[in-house]
Amino acid sequence: MEHIGAGLAAIGVIGPGIGIGILGGLAAGAIGRNPDAGSQIRGLAIILAGFAEGLGVLAIVVGLLTIFITGS
Amino acid sequence: MHERPSDREIAGPAEQPRKRDRRRWLLAAIPILLVVDAVAFALVPPFPPGQPGAACQFPVCFINGNFEFPAPATVIGQAPEPGQILSFVPGISSTILTMWIVGGALLIAAFLLGRLRKPVPGRIQNFSEWAYESIRNFGLSIGGPEAAPYIPIFASFFLLILFSNWSGLVPPIGKVEFLRAPTSDVNITIGLALTSFVIFEFEGFRKLGVRGYLGKFFPFYEFRNGLGAGLIAMFVGLIELMLEFVKPVTLSMRLFGNIYAGEVAIGVITSLTIVLVPVALLLLEGMLNLIQAVIFSVLSLVFILSAIESHHQEEGHIAQDAMSVAEGHASPSPAH
Repeated sequence: MEHIGAGLAAIGVIGPGIGIGILGGLAAGAIGRNPDAGSQIRGLAIILAGFAEGLGVLAIVVGLLTIFITGS
Repeated sequence: MHERPSDREIAGPAEQPRKRDRRRWLLAAIPILLVVDAVAFALVPPFPPGQPGAACQFPVCFINGNFEFPAPATVIGQAPEPGQILSFVPGISSTILTMWIVGGALLIAAFLLGRLRKPVPGRIQNFSEWAYESIRNFGLSIGGPEAAPYIPIFASFFLLILFSNWSGLVPPIGKVEFLRAPTSDVNITIGLALTSFVIFEFEGFRKLGVRGYLGKFFPFYEFRNGLGAGLIAMFVGLIELMLEFVKPVTLSMRLFGNIYAGEVAIGVITSLTIVLVPVALLLLEGMLNLIQAVIFSVLSLVFILSAIESHHQEEGHIAQDAMSVAEGHASPSPAH
């Protein structure tokens, strides 16, 4: 039963996936429109992708908790 | 009249060999990693956990042999009972041991660099000065000039977490029983996040005083502007208070999840496809570990700066002060 719960918890990683995809698309468009601001946009995009990835990790941690914490 | 040498001729030949060297380095690293992977697989084939030397079938036993559990192995002292969320048992785990090694190496390096300073810098001193200045400029660009007193904390978090993360990718660490990347353990990342929490709370209390700092979360003075404004301000203050306690949780979980999941992914991929794919994943994890170190330290710096900013700045009293100075009612005073 725990493994089904872990699988369900791992579905939550879809959110950051979509988020980082949208972020990447908008960042690429912004760099295309304004190539001189390229390095600033690139730095901002990398940092924001890191934040979004952190939330996906929270979902994985919940899954891990259900597998490895046995008992009450 | 002599022709003036163009800028290209002045700057020219010196730049290009350096770029070619860097690219050649990267291209040479990949076959080296492939060879190391193949040799390691030939010399030390995976075995079922706990029985070195027994036969192992592909794929299940391979994966089990390379899998890393969230809880670290204990080196000295008693091990906690498995299956509990919280247990306080005196013992030194493999992650603490690796953290001492990494931290000790960093301290020794810093001490030696401080001792061997020369007026005309050699290569190592040049490199370390460049590294510190780029960290400092990055911190100042994030926080503005008032972040200057907090740059040492920022740099310490960054360097410690960066080298802790990267130590998980160096071969013996993570596969040997008594060495493991420190930040792949929940306990250590919770400790780091609690340290950051205590630091920014303490800075807030020191800068604004106890009443000033708590006044940010319980703004009783807003009741002066009417009951409605007071209630809204209290509600916002409660949400901000809850956010204060969420900050260390997200800091620790983000770092732990990224590093631990990276290690598990590398272990599983290495056991499934011995060569070629693990190299790409190793380089990707190297970049991701760097980004996670940057994010942890940048967030700590931002939390410290937001804890010490006073309500005057939040409510735009700066604009009112500027207006009154422009109209001649008051003389200019330094920003607070």
